[in-house]
Amino acid sequence: MADGDRFPPGTAVRTFHHDPPHHTRLPRYARGKRGVVVEPEGRAELADVSAQGRGDAPVEQVYAVRFAARDLWGEGDHHVVLDLWESYLEADEEGAAR
Amino acid sequence: MSGDHSDATIAQRVRRLETLLEEKGVLSGARLDEIIDASLTGASPANGARVVARAWTDADFRARLLADGTAAVRELGFMEGSYQRLRVVENTDTTHNVIVCTLCSCYPLRLLGPSPSWYKSEAYRSRVVREPRAVLAEFGLELPAGTEITVWDSSAETRYMVLPRRPDGTDDLGEEQLAALVTRNALIGTAAV
Amino acid sequence: MARINDVGGTEGFGAVDITDDAEPFHADWEARVVGLLGALRAQGIFNTNEFRDAIESMPPREYLAASYYERWFEAICTLLERKGVIKPGELDG
Repeated sequence: MADGDRFPPGTAVRTFHHDPPHHTRLPRYARGKRGVVVEPEGRAELADVSAQGRGDAPVEQVYAVRFAARDLWGEGDHHVVLDLWESYLEADEEGAAR
Repeated sequence: MSGDHSDATIAQRVRRLETLLEEKGVLSGARLDEIIDASLTGASPANGARVVARAWTDADFRARLLADGTAAVRELGFMEGSYQRLRVVENTDTTHNVIVCTLCSCYPLRLLGPSPSWYKSEAYRSRVVREPRAVLAEFGLELPAGTEITVWDSSAETRYMVLPRRPDGTDDLGEEQLAALVTRNALIGTAAV
Repeated sequence: MARINDVGGTEGFGAVDITDDAEPFHADWEARVVGLLGALRAQGIFNTNEFRDAIESMPPREYLAASYYERWFEAICTLLERKGVIKPGELDG
């Protein structure tokens, strides 16, 4: 599978309502939020697993995902882009129609 | 508890740990000096400024820089052998970019030099994603009302640098003179240039 | 589980102190800590993600009271103990 195949640029995605007891790189402010993929940002070992000192961290695609401030906090006219591992994301069918 | 330690105490603890690790054969003092030197040597905002000046004067380089920052800066000898990716984001007359790492303090050290304390502060990290305009105003940067602001939160392996707008009235300046205009804050996005 | 480092959007931290520190380190020990981190990572004793995890796992009160490099140092000590490189209490004993 080529880089970023699962969520090509422009894909509407949603982050999971992810609240693990361990290290993660999905900040609280961006959990369960709708965004749009900007582009793939390479592949990397999933930080959540690598942080546990295990040798078996999966290598996943990372995506730059753009969020509207209004969707993050209910206000603001700026955007925030986060680099998120693929397992933090799912396709947002409803979002695609917006 | 760390809150109670004065500088003298923490310095002693650091020294004690170094000694302990040397005694255990885990470390050599010389190696530490090498690493400290390597981390500082060659890491400077003058590097980022050089990249910017090249982009301002060479349209093809600019295009390559925006398409693949890592490859482009390597043309100038930066970030060779680094596992990190670099993404350069350009300011235009209607858009402005600013960089943060809300989760810790990730930063393109080789291109910008050591990060300032404010970049690592809870105040910056918490507020710039939520109210960038107000934070930029605290740095003395007032953006026109219609400017679209994008905040880049460095949450994975990519490091970000801003390509500021070339100031007006600089057509007759050479690359070195242009590079001298570029501040480190502009490369982070908290200054215009 | 909310971690103290995850501050994006959190309110109440006040104005940004925009003072531009000229020096990368305010004291020699800070540079030594940077050196320690580099050396221990290079030897594979722990990785960057484990290091960040150790910082984030500091009790909130300690995290907020500690300076930037103090956090680094505490995380290094925590990991060295966890990995059995030093014994608990060996550093301060």
